[in-house]
Amino acid sequence: MENYRWRVIGAIAGVLAAIVLLSPNFMDTSKINWWPAKKKLNYGLDIQGGIHLVMGVDINGVMQETATRQANSLKKELTTQATEKVELVNFKVTNAATGEMEFEFQNAADADKAHKYIGDRYGTVLQMIERKDKYTIYRYLDNQLVDLRSKVIAQSIETIRNRIDEFGVAEPSISQQGDNRILVQLPGMADAEQAKKLINTTAKLDFMIVDDTVNYAEVQKWIKDAETAGNFTMASMKYSDYVTKINEALRGKIPDKSVVYFGKAENARTMDAGSLAYVLRADTDLGGTDLDDASISFGQFGDPQVALRFNPTGANKFADITGNNINKRMAIVLDRIVKSAPNIQTRIGDGNAVITLGQRNQQESLDEAKMISTALKAGSLPAALEQLEERRIGPTLGADSIRQAQMGAYAGAFLIFVFLILYYRAMGLVASASIAVNVLSGLGLLTALGATLTLPGIAGIALTVGFAVDANVLIQERIKEELVKGASWKLAIREGYSRAMSAILDSNVTVAAVAIILLNFGTGPIRGFAVTLLIGIATTLFGNVFFSKVIVDTLIYKWNVKNISIGLSDKHLAKA
Amino acid sequence: MNQKKVNSNENENYGRFDFVGKTPLFGGISLLLVLASLIYLAVGGVNYGIDFKGGTEIQVKFAQAVTMDDIRKASEGLGIGEVGVQGFGDTSEFIIRFQGEQGKDDKETNAKLNEAIGKVRSMIDTQFKDKQPEIRRVDTVGPQVGAELKRNGLLSVFYSLLVILIYVSLRFDYKYSPGAVICLAHDAIITLGIFVFVGKEVNVSILAAILTLIGYSLNDTIVVFDRIRETDSEHHGKSSKYIVNKAINDMLSRTVITSGTVFTSALCLWIFSTGTVSDIAFAITIGMFFGTYSSVFVAAPMMIFIEKMKFLAKA
Repeated sequence: MENYRWRVIGAIAGVLAAIVLLSPNFMDTSKINWWPAKKKLNYGLDIQGGIHLVMGVDINGVMQETATRQANSLKKELTTQATEKVELVNFKVTNAATGEMEFEFQNAADADKAHKYIGDRYGTVLQMIERKDKYTIYRYLDNQLVDLRSKVIAQSIETIRNRIDEFGVAEPSISQQGDNRILVQLPGMADAEQAKKLINTTAKLDFMIVDDTVNYAEVQKWIKDAETAGNFTMASMKYSDYVTKINEALRGKIPDKSVVYFGKAENARTMDAGSLAYVLRADTDLGGTDLDDASISFGQFGDPQVALRFNPTGANKFADITGNNINKRMAIVLDRIVKSAPNIQTRIGDGNAVITLGQRNQQESLDEAKMISTALKAGSLPAALEQLEERRIGPTLGADSIRQAQMGAYAGAFLIFVFLILYYRAMGLVASASIAVNVLSGLGLLTALGATLTLPGIAGIALTVGFAVDANVLIQERIKEELVKGASWKLAIREGYSRAMSAILDSNVTVAAVAIILLNFGTGPIRGFAVTLLIGIATTLFGNVFFSKVIVDTLIYKWNVKNISIGLSDKHLAKA
Repeated sequence: MNQKKVNSNENENYGRFDFVGKTPLFGGISLLLVLASLIYLAVGGVNYGIDFKGGTEIQVKFAQAVTMDDIRKASEGLGIGEVGVQGFGDTSEFIIRFQGEQGKDDKETNAKLNEAIGKVRSMIDTQFKDKQPEIRRVDTVGPQVGAELKRNGLLSVFYSLLVILIYVSLRFDYKYSPGAVICLAHDAIITLGIFVFVGKEVNVSILAAILTLIGYSLNDTIVVFDRIRETDSEHHGKSSKYIVNKAINDMLSRTVITSGTVFTSALCLWIFSTGTVSDIAFAITIGMFFGTYSSVFVAAPMMIFIEKMKFLAKA
């Protein structure tokens, strides 16, 4: 009877918490501000229907291209910028995975001079791994490789996200899986074929000059008018359709050869919530194919900036455009979305530009620099994607599965309760109540943790109900045994719970250990199974050991019940 | 506690049944079943589903009656290699399975597979248009992912068994742990045998089912071990046979009630559901039986066996 008061409080708090956490699933709590629980239970794609895609990212293809561009630009630099000019006669990429390049010079002396230049200029990027006469082999430093690879993944994710935002899917999930894969999960997607097609197209990057001659307020008004006239908004349709419609409506109003695209306003969470319209000149003809590389660098005060390097054709076009548009803004447009629109300060002739981000909070600037450089890379060096796995579940199938599983679960639960109550009488009622508490708090935890309930997850719950039944039976049988031996109810209960406890703990801890392993090694469905198993184990201990003991203690000690029916006949008791 | 000791001293009998005495019989049966399953799996081969070998499954339901032959005939003309058609649930619902053709490397195989999916889909949409098809599920696993899923699946089973071995040795005694692991392997092999025997393909959800079974069987074995350990500490000096028999007899009603209850509810789940849940419920249903059986007739005798080995080694 130690800590009885605290245990009662704990039990009541636990049950209340479970009910509160579950509440959003059966009532609308979003309007009640003070209500602590807002989250609903997430259903996996196998239940709610949707599409699950695993895309392989061709990192090596990008590495090959990156190394080639690096070598090309080095070749140019060695003849123009190096103090001792050298000709790089020939180069080839010998290993794409590590960015290994073999350079051939005219003679060994040239190779030495080039090595000096590369060491000074690219010492933090490249390392020499072999030297033979006029040949040298360089590769990227390991930290550079890690960085490059993670950027390729980041830019692919960015590209895919752009595409999916088009569809306005409620809660898309796009995440990295393993070293070179991207997992895309789109719940409730009806238009799967189109989504797949879109995901597989590469991003289009454009550099366009912002036309400041048009009055911004006027543009806003035209857009408003067009929206009212056509009865549409950005939120109600795909972005690309919206842009097309707006541009049709505004033709004639904005100057010839220009278009209206949109960017996300600085403090808005989504485009729909706050967008900025840009009138852009469509005649610049500078795009992703002209850009070699983009990366984050730091200015003299350590402020983050984005460094761009154009290829020779791009550099020429860029020089002309910047020369003609000083003090105008150049928009960076990825898939018709304006990502940034920095001001052109001077003519840039060598194809190396820097976008400064102005004076602000360091972290914000860094985030923006990352966003811009990712967008630039996505458009200039797109990684090829390959579909490796696809699982698509139609909404009717998922609905069928969950309905059937529910039927089975209700029938099973009903049988368990009926049996426990018939066999263990009053104690069976306590056992049934504790199993119900166990399942409720399990679902409550699942909801609160934002975990996803999948079909194998339901099996995990079924399994933990099995454990819960076992825990109850162990306890009841133990109490019976003690009673048969002649123990008083008080003693029988204490002994019954404490002795059954060791078996319950051991078995649950072992299974939990296995569940943790599954969580680490398993994929998709297996993980869902492991999660519910782990949660179920925790709630089994709460419901069947803690909660039911509190009820029984209350009956015996507080309400002075002398004899609880547990399904023992007088004959059994007489044996003792 | 004292009371208990007095009681058991008065009654030298360990209970109603001599479980340990039946070890040769049930051990023989178990060995036979495991061997039969292994031979069956080795000869017939495990029928891996698309999760592990790569390929595509399309589940399609027609509003109007369509026969399996219709689909088979229509698929043969597509030139995408072998196509399997299987009825599912209602008469007008089918699963169409194919692996596509082998390319010279994984990448090419994958591309061919994706191409084949397009062909099958357009076949369904055009040739069966008037039957109102509804594509309810499409699962495609490329060869690269398939190999990986298989590896991860096997690894997770292996590590699970390893962890159990270590935990049981630490928490109980090393003499218990081989019994626990052999008992789980026994259950998993026999269930896998049964699964393949009834014609189920082994895929990720079957793996989840087998893990469920291992989970239950483990739970049961640990409960039995716990009771043996407890009986052992109270009747130290008695023979292992006496202790094991007494422990199992003492908890016999628990074993029967728990397995009976869970068996029934798993059976309900199995009867009502289809697909993944049905597979898992089926595994729990079989697993309930073998899990309970193996704790008593495999795990416990194993423990006595290890103890005897230890004794012999000392002598």
